[in-house]
Amino acid sequence: MDATLVADALSKSFTTGAVRTDVLRDLSIEIAAGELTLVSGPSGCGKSTLLAILSGLLRPDGGRAFALGQDLARLEPAELERFRLQHTGFVFQGFNLFPALSALEQVMLPLGYLGLGDALARRRAGDALAEVGLGSRMQLRPAELSGGEKQRVAIARALAKEPQLLFADEPTSALDAANGQIVIDTLHRIARTHGATVLCVSHDPRLVGHADRVLAMEDGRILADRRVAASRSP
Amino acid sequence: MVPLARKTLVHEWRRFLPSALAVAFSGLLLLVQAALVFGIFNSSAVYIRKSGGELWLGYPGTQSIELGRPIPQQAEIAALMDPAVERVEPFNWIDGDWRGPADKGGVSVFVSGIDTRSDALMFADALTPALRALLDEPDGVIVDRADLPKLGLDVGGQAVVNGHRVRIVGVGSGLRALGGVNIVTSLATSRRLDNGDSDGRVAYYVVKLRDGSDAAAVRQRLQPRGQARRFEVWTRDAFARRAVAYWMFETGAGLGVVLLAIVVFVVGALITSQTLMGAVAGSIREYATLHALGVGFARLRRVVLEQAAWVGAFGLVVGGVATALVVLLAHRRDVPVQLDLVTVAICATLVMGIALLSGLAAVRALRHADPALLLR
Repeated sequence: MDATLVADALSKSFTTGAVRTDVLRDLSIEIAAGELTLVSGPSGCGKSTLLAILSGLLRPDGGRAFALGQDLARLEPAELERFRLQHTGFVFQGFNLFPALSALEQVMLPLGYLGLGDALARRRAGDALAEVGLGSRMQLRPAELSGGEKQRVAIARALAKEPQLLFADEPTSALDAANGQIVIDTLHRIARTHGATVLCVSHDPRLVGHADRVLAMEDGRILADRRVAASRSP
Repeated sequence: MVPLARKTLVHEWRRFLPSALAVAFSGLLLLVQAALVFGIFNSSAVYIRKSGGELWLGYPGTQSIELGRPIPQQAEIAALMDPAVERVEPFNWIDGDWRGPADKGGVSVFVSGIDTRSDALMFADALTPALRALLDEPDGVIVDRADLPKLGLDVGGQAVVNGHRVRIVGVGSGLRALGGVNIVTSLATSRRLDNGDSDGRVAYYVVKLRDGSDAAAVRQRLQPRGQARRFEVWTRDAFARRAVAYWMFETGAGLGVVLLAIVVFVVGALITSQTLMGAVAGSIREYATLHALGVGFARLRRVVLEQAAWVGAFGLVVGGVATALVVLLAHRRDVPVQLDLVTVAICATLVMGIALLSGLAAVRALRHADPALLLR
């Protein structure tokens, strides 16, 4: 199995005032397509920083990050934006939906920037919303949706781009158990059916059982890397 | 393409309303100020513009009509001798002290002595032949309707100017000018009111040229040369522009106007940019998400600038309507206001400038749209 995301001896530190904190220490990992990889660990263990570097949002201090075989350090900022636009989707803890737009428009928006025509964007957005179970609520604005529904709109927004890489940062933290379950199942299904690389970062222990692979992180290092035998088929 | 900028404007109109109103008020202030300034300053040229004739002869260096001094009669003779000149009409201009009803005290007035023939040049566009004929009554004067309250009199009322009794025989409109009340009399009456100070000389001669004459060329011929010039010749337009320029630039009023316009611009831009920045800051997480999804800053910038442009357009329309109402009201009250297309275009450009500059300032708030802020 080819790795679509590769971290090679990554290191990163932040300086706050006189205090220097090493967030990632010589971290190497390979992540494959077609499965949901969960990075879990306590707050401040560096898991979000790892996600940011592998998704091209952040540059490491040392080491190299490859995504889809591309050395991210070699890309100019504009090329990096282009790379993200074409290949990546993001789901964040906050849903970050524009209050003025309906669910359908939220999903169509990035597709327009991708250069898709209105008709195609509308069809793809509709399909993505149907896939996350919101086919009947496409015309509603965020204020009319529940938290779980909003997160599913955010997932549809990431999914409609048909990205090869999907990054999720604490996607279930703001949700109750039932909605959290729906969201993680959706992410899992996306990995399986779309063959996408799904990298999910969370400290939510409920998610462990739903991942194909769990990386336990602490103090900027990966302590354990295990496959979850019980992971269900789509 | 989902029209994010417009949808957000409509949905969050309360957020954008202050900036739109700031733009509208800036536009209103700029336009009304311009209308008033041009109205008032052009009224200094109103006597020139509302009269016939192509050339004016007056005291050398005279900067504005109310600064006229008596000139020698040889000016008239010189003009009459030019083959292109059809007619020369004297126009007298003297200062006066108006004493009307006791409770109004003294009022400084300018007395215009004009030819009363029906085809006379002076005030050809402001006074009807019938009104003009009324001035043939000895000591009869015409005043602007809007000045009646200031004088405390009505038509038929009597007052004393420079020691001579006069009677208001009619009212006109468009006779108001800067600096005081203007009253119109016949040439004969004006000479009497002058107490003989000017030895029968008048302040101006207005010259009508034969059809097809080149006013500039005739002006060149009539213009006296050498040190001892005793009068000067201007084309009508040049003299009118001189008057406006004098009030605009020599009195300091113009500088005040420019300063006020700058203040309006800066204040408008400050309020608008703050509001737009607030709007950007309010959606910063959404913008950051788009940025994470690969939408570049240039495209996000366009969203903000488009919002600024809409805010500007809305403010322009509201400000324009409000200005139209104010100008209408001013016309009804005989307040001199004047707006031409060029002025409106300049003000509109300034107003859109306010909105777009504010948009550019607000764009800087986008720098905070860093996807890293979305990660825990």
